[in-house]
Amino acid sequence: METYVILRRAGWRTADDLAAAAERSTTEGERMPDDVAWIRSYVLEELDGSVGTVCVYQASSPEAIRRHATAADLPVDEIVKVADTVIVRTDPAPVAA
Amino acid sequence: MAIIESARIGALLERDELLDGLRTALADARAGHGALLLVGGEAGVGKTSATRLFFEEADRDAIGLWGSCDPLATPPPLGPFLEIVEGAPAGLSDAVDADSGAHAVAMALLAAGQRGLPLLLVLEDVHWADEATLDVLRVLGRRAGGTRTLAIATYRDDELERDHPLRVLLGDLATSEGVRRQRVERLSAAAVVRMAEGHDVDPAALYRRTSGNPFYVTEALAAGGDDVPATVRDAVLARVARLGPHATAVVEAVSIAPPSLDAGSILAVVGEASESIDECLASGVLRTDDGGIAFRHELARVAVEESISPARRLAMHRSVLLALTDSPRARSDVARVAHHAEQADDREAVLRFAPAAAAEAARRGAYREAAAQYARALRFGDDLSPGDRADLLEGRSRACYLADDQTEAIQVIREAILCRQAQGAPLEEARALTELTDYLWCRGYNGEADEAVARASQLAAGLPERRAHAYVFHTQALEALGRGDLEASLEHARRALELGERFGDETIAGHARVTIAGIHARGDLEQGIDLLEDAVESARRQGEHEVAARGLNSLVFRGIDWKRHDLVARYIDDAVEYCTEHTEDLWRINVLAVAARWALDRGRWDDAVGYANAVLDDPRESPWTHHEALCVLALVRTRRGDPGAREALADAIVVGVPREEEFAHVDLAAARAEVAWYERALDDVDAATAVMLSSELADPTAVVRLQLWRRLAGLESDTGVDSPGPFGLGLAGRWQEAADEWAEASCPYEAALALSQTDDVEALRQAHAECLRLGARPLATVVARKLRESGARDVPRGPRAATRANEAELTPRELEVLGLVADGLRNADIAERLFLSTRTVDHHVSAIRRKLGARTRGEAVAAAGRLGLLEDR
Repeated sequence: METYVILRRAGWRTADDLAAAAERSTTEGERMPDDVAWIRSYVLEELDGSVGTVCVYQASSPEAIRRHATAADLPVDEIVKVADTVIVRTDPAPVAA
Repeated sequence: MAIIESARIGALLERDELLDGLRTALADARAGHGALLLVGGEAGVGKTSATRLFFEEADRDAIGLWGSCDPLATPPPLGPFLEIVEGAPAGLSDAVDADSGAHAVAMALLAAGQRGLPLLLVLEDVHWADEATLDVLRVLGRRAGGTRTLAIATYRDDELERDHPLRVLLGDLATSEGVRRQRVERLSAAAVVRMAEGHDVDPAALYRRTSGNPFYVTEALAAGGDDVPATVRDAVLARVARLGPHATAVVEAVSIAPPSLDAGSILAVVGEASESIDECLASGVLRTDDGGIAFRHELARVAVEESISPARRLAMHRSVLLALTDSPRARSDVARVAHHAEQADDREAVLRFAPAAAAEAARRGAYREAAAQYARALRFGDDLSPGDRADLLEGRSRACYLADDQTEAIQVIREAILCRQAQGAPLEEARALTELTDYLWCRGYNGEADEAVARASQLAAGLPERRAHAYVFHTQALEALGRGDLEASLEHARRALELGERFGDETIAGHARVTIAGIHARGDLEQGIDLLEDAVESARRQGEHEVAARGLNSLVFRGIDWKRHDLVARYIDDAVEYCTEHTEDLWRINVLAVAARWALDRGRWDDAVGYANAVLDDPRESPWTHHEALCVLALVRTRRGDPGAREALADAIVVGVPREEEFAHVDLAAARAEVAWYERALDDVDAATAVMLSSELADPTAVVRLQLWRRLAGLESDTGVDSPGPFGLGLAGRWQEAADEWAEASCPYEAALALSQTDDVEALRQAHAECLRLGARPLATVVARKLRESGARDVPRGPRAATRANEAELTPRELEVLGLVADGLRNADIAERLFLSTRTVDHHVSAIRRKLGARTRGEAVAAAGRLGLLEDR
């Protein structure tokens, strides 16, 4: 499994839409545990008032990420492979929490 | 008896979960949801004991059949099924008796439970199964889901090395709905304590040493004494040592003749000592088996066999061989006799029985075993006449080829050709050369293959016509086809057909029909298609699976030639389906690789990835298909802007294809150029194209195709090449015309790429829309920038996956399946209705869900309703 960053810009109209998508994402992810593992996501406040995400996944291939996205009805703008990870500080507490 | 009692307790302890699983599976089978249940566990852990308990318990609820695989290095083909013929329903015993292959046996097994009681089939120790038996399991795994058959297969899961054939099978079946798995675990300390009750042994020490392996525990208890033996082997031998000398002789005789030895043969081997058989049975070391006397466990047999000195073992094998040669078993179980013949170092017997065993194995589709039996005969065949040796070599070569060991097949057939020369048999030599040609073509060694064809036709010319001539003519027909000389090819194929029919050889006649029909289809698709479909149909009826598979592949190629994409989609489905059902694996991955490229060209990238991954998941040796799949994968990635394109190309280079497969090297060079172009690595575009262009390329289109990438990259390119077709138009800078030709050829991405090179705002807008539809992000970005630079406004951003999914392009078969899903049918019912395996239907349904962006069957039906896909029914 390799690590990838996935950009899903302005993918949802509201935070509620995104929450529903996150649920579908989890369900579909559990169906293909050998191919994708969702690590974490940052939710983006888009200029047009919509919501987007930057997601970190581990996956067996970029095609597996697309298969997962299609199954869970998630948009994909761009998939970038992660070459290395530098962690300076742990993530701040979730904003919405 | 205490020992047998403790064994029985051991079998029952901590097996509730397993037994419940088995019971549920049988209840499901009764309700029409059969399964292949794989029961794994280490040797001696009690797989058989627990299964046996369940089997006896289910006696009145099912038709019970029990078969075991033999621990012989080269087991008899379909061995476990030969054992169960007695007492089996009529259709099944007929299928096994009649020299049937795996498919017929599996279908008979699935049919046997459909009326009255369900069928419960147990196959023990399938890690030793021959190839044909594994093929039966493969079909059962794919199809049992919709039947009333429960097949239970036990196997040692700790002894499957990476390339073990059973491991390959388990991988193939990983996603089949009708396959379940259970694992038998070792016993807990508490269970071992219970088994040790009434014995003078420290239960804690017993558990420590045996780790809770029930067989080891039982043997240690049976060995008696206070100490627990250090190994299973010690425990077994300590137990045997408690027997009298006569009984020991009996045990040793039985140990060298797996799976069992009949009383008559025991008498022949040990003489009067055979009176002690009863003592052995009473002690629990041996048990009676259908065929005679056997060990209670294979671990015990191996321990005893290994304890016998080599000289004594040789003498005993000679006695067993003598006893078996005179018995009726010599005919019915030649594989076993051949085993003893080799162990007895009896050349004459090996040369008599091993080829017979090989022929039987090949007839039943156990090619790996057939190849091993021929090898066994050849080990003793140094002094044979060249003709006899060539017979064996040819048999081995064919078996290796069919068992997917092409390298060995080529080497062995070369040796056979030398023998035919030494023999002075030119027609047989020509026939062997046609085999060599087949194998060489399969690997892409076309130059050598063409030489072999020339030599074969030279040899056969002027000799009185025999069956072999049909093969020589057909090989000539294929060679002419490769050169593009259709007239010569047709002529040769017609002669092959005539001779094949005259000598009653349906295989070569069928191949000739496919070749002739394929040539007609090049000139006139409609007429050729009818002929091809007839040829496929007649091959299907006659069970000529390879001919049918080749014909189905040919339909795909011709459909692509004629750009009849509606037909191609259906033919790809048909070909993949048929080849999967009949384990024509090389033809299956061939058509999948072709389908991957076809889907890529159509802009159906999800499908292209699906086909390519199906090729890459296949472990069989087939360089071109893997190479092609990796090229397609790289191009999908680069066109989407996904990572990993270079990695896929690097893998393709590692796979490698022979120099002569020029088109594959051109494909790779073009793919490398395209990937480099998107990465703006212009030096790499140069490197990828320059090497190919510096060599003499036979295909003029290839030159233009590579030159075009150089032009796009702004490198020095030879635009003076005057070539028709869209590549040539592009190279000449006539982009709009190139785009029109690409669109005409149903290549949307290439059309968009051509349009992207124009300066016309409308054309650019069209290219941009097409890129968004395809999900071609990098090209879309390039075009959008160009549009903005030329002052265009309102350049849209990318669409969402969900809207893209509405462009669903379902194949006719998928629409058919979708219709039945909408009618509320389950996959198993659909499979039955369409004469498909459940696995194939599973595959179609998930493709439908993917294309419609639906998570459930209900959503798929709803989406189809919205899109009006089901209106024409």
